[in-house]
Amino acid sequence: MYTWITNENDRAQWQAFVDAAKKKDPAFNLTLEGPSFNDYWTKVKTRLSSSGAPCIITTQAARAQELKDLTVPLDDLAKSNNIDISMYNKAMIDGLTVDGTLRGIPYDAEPVVLYYNKDLLAAAGVKEPGTKYTTSQFASDLKALTKDGVSGLAIPPGFGSGPGLPMAFADGNEPVKDGKLDLTNSGLVADQQFAFDLAAKEKVGTAPQSSDGTDVPEQQFMSGKAAMIIDGPWMYDTLTTKTQGKVGIAVVPSKSGDSIGMIQGSAFAIAASCKDKEAAFKNIMKITTPEVVGAVGAARGTVPSVESALKDWAGTKPAADVEVVKALLASGRPLVTTPSWNQVETTFSQYSSEGFRGSKSAQDILSTITNSAK
Amino acid sequence: MTALPTLAVKNAKKPAGVTGHGKLAALYLAPGMLGFFIFIVVPLIASLVISLFDWPLFGTPKFVGLDNYIRMLSGDPVFWTVLGNTLFFAVCYTVLNLVLALGLSTWLHSLGSWGPFFRVLFFVPVVTPMVANALVWRLMLTDDGVVNSFLANFGIAGPSWLSDSQLAMGSLIAMSVWQGVGYNIIVLGAGLNGISPNLLEAARIDGAGAWQRFFRVVLPMLSPSLFFCTVMTIIGSFKVFTQPYLLTLGGPGESTNTIVLYLYRNGFSFDKLGYASALAWALFVIVMLITALQFSQQKRLVNYDN
Repeated sequence: MYTWITNENDRAQWQAFVDAAKKKDPAFNLTLEGPSFNDYWTKVKTRLSSSGAPCIITTQAARAQELKDLTVPLDDLAKSNNIDISMYNKAMIDGLTVDGTLRGIPYDAEPVVLYYNKDLLAAAGVKEPGTKYTTSQFASDLKALTKDGVSGLAIPPGFGSGPGLPMAFADGNEPVKDGKLDLTNSGLVADQQFAFDLAAKEKVGTAPQSSDGTDVPEQQFMSGKAAMIIDGPWMYDTLTTKTQGKVGIAVVPSKSGDSIGMIQGSAFAIAASCKDKEAAFKNIMKITTPEVVGAVGAARGTVPSVESALKDWAGTKPAADVEVVKALLASGRPLVTTPSWNQVETTFSQYSSEGFRGSKSAQDILSTITNSAK
Repeated sequence: MTALPTLAVKNAKKPAGVTGHGKLAALYLAPGMLGFFIFIVVPLIASLVISLFDWPLFGTPKFVGLDNYIRMLSGDPVFWTVLGNTLFFAVCYTVLNLVLALGLSTWLHSLGSWGPFFRVLFFVPVVTPMVANALVWRLMLTDDGVVNSFLANFGIAGPSWLSDSQLAMGSLIAMSVWQGVGYNIIVLGAGLNGISPNLLEAARIDGAGAWQRFFRVVLPMLSPSLFFCTVMTIIGSFKVFTQPYLLTLGGPGESTNTIVLYLYRNGFSFDKLGYASALAWALFVIVMLITALQFSQQKRLVNYDN
């Protein structure tokens, strides 16, 4: 299998799939190879162009459009193997559907959430948010939290990873419409401007630099210098165990308070160059059973793509946190992108430092990106 | 070392009955030429071919003729921005680098036994990996980095060195000069060591002052080394990549986006190998023309007399 292996943590995750599948089929095995996550999206294309390329690859739902030429439709294989696709998270299946055909079997479905430092909220007299959270309350809480060297919100420079897109999504404003970029729709622009203004006008967050990765704001949050951060559930174990202070999660704030979850997640797919697609599909199905995705969720913290396996992931997590994830999964929509999404993300990171410093508006930045990433 | 006899006599007629050394010369040249052919000529031709296609990293290329070049020259405003940025960087970096290197190498030349020590000190950033240097500078120049923390001690609120479009390019140039000046100090130092002290002594006896000796004797005698440094520094400056990639990601906006960063992204992030190849050819032509212009002025500006 060709996948991203950034560190031993990634390798352990993939090994967890193999180990869980071995419980049912002791002879099962998968050979793993691949570069770091950041290099993966370039190298998967060159690796699959060369001879002896692996049959199984991993993809994210958000990248399914970008990798559509590399993968094959799985609908017929699923039908002939009597696989009930409806057991998987619907948003993930929608996100993995390209030109009407399914391109991957999801193993997780991860709605972006809002993490908060309970100790800092208590010190500022701010009530802990939960499954309902309005943007006006959010802005007011951030103001109360910003004091004594602590920022209300830790902000990364990226689009999908930044606060703007998840908040736009929570309001139902998506970046792609009918397969085309729709970055300049008024709702998305307004929500992105709201996110920019949190740093530029309200001064409740530190404006990021273009070259900051997600690790910079995460470190800010973990060290107690920021009280809140918007991030994926895949960071749950890290953020809850390594932050100075207790951590809770809430839905991403929206105007109405009833947020639509922005679901991201990954899947196993079959490479177009694979000679034995039937065997590859059978192997994928061995590592995406409810038992396996549940076991991996319990061991590695990924939110399973199958609802019946959620209890394994929930384990001993606080009931309030589990409820937040369940609520976002129920309301969630997939982050559907376009083949030029990498350009959107890169260009946004380039320009966002100006947005968060108030020298450019969301309208200007999103229009520029739309024009360059046609 | 024995020189090839054929090179010894210019324009000499080969005596009748004497066999040439063409085969021997070809044998000596073969390894180098083979490497040049495989690693330079073939990729050069391949990139020219790719530039005529819409060529994704995976999938079937589609022939588009000169479309990539037309788009580059008339339909892509970012190309002209990154070209302007690259030219600005090249001019500022080259001038600052050469002026600093010339001043420092002259100072070190007069320093006596401490000269070599400082020369090594200035050369350390050259041999340190660029990535490590860039990360250290990033820590220094972030909003709450070392520089602004230092300024805060004096009650000065430091600017956003890497996120202010007016300052970001200046920060890149400063970091690049710090990284690259040591190489030119070594080359110019060697050039200064090659100037006969008798010449300077004669100039002194003739009544030339320190500045006159520098401008009338040292500078002309140093011109071959300066010419080499200028050519290599300009070529290097057009290829700037790591500094914007790691320090600013080309931002804020496009203010530090350079042509090599832009072509890298088009090729390996945006899946547009054909367009990236067209950008590479534009860069190749620009650098070739500037280098040719420099060589055309060589006879006028460079003094090879001992």
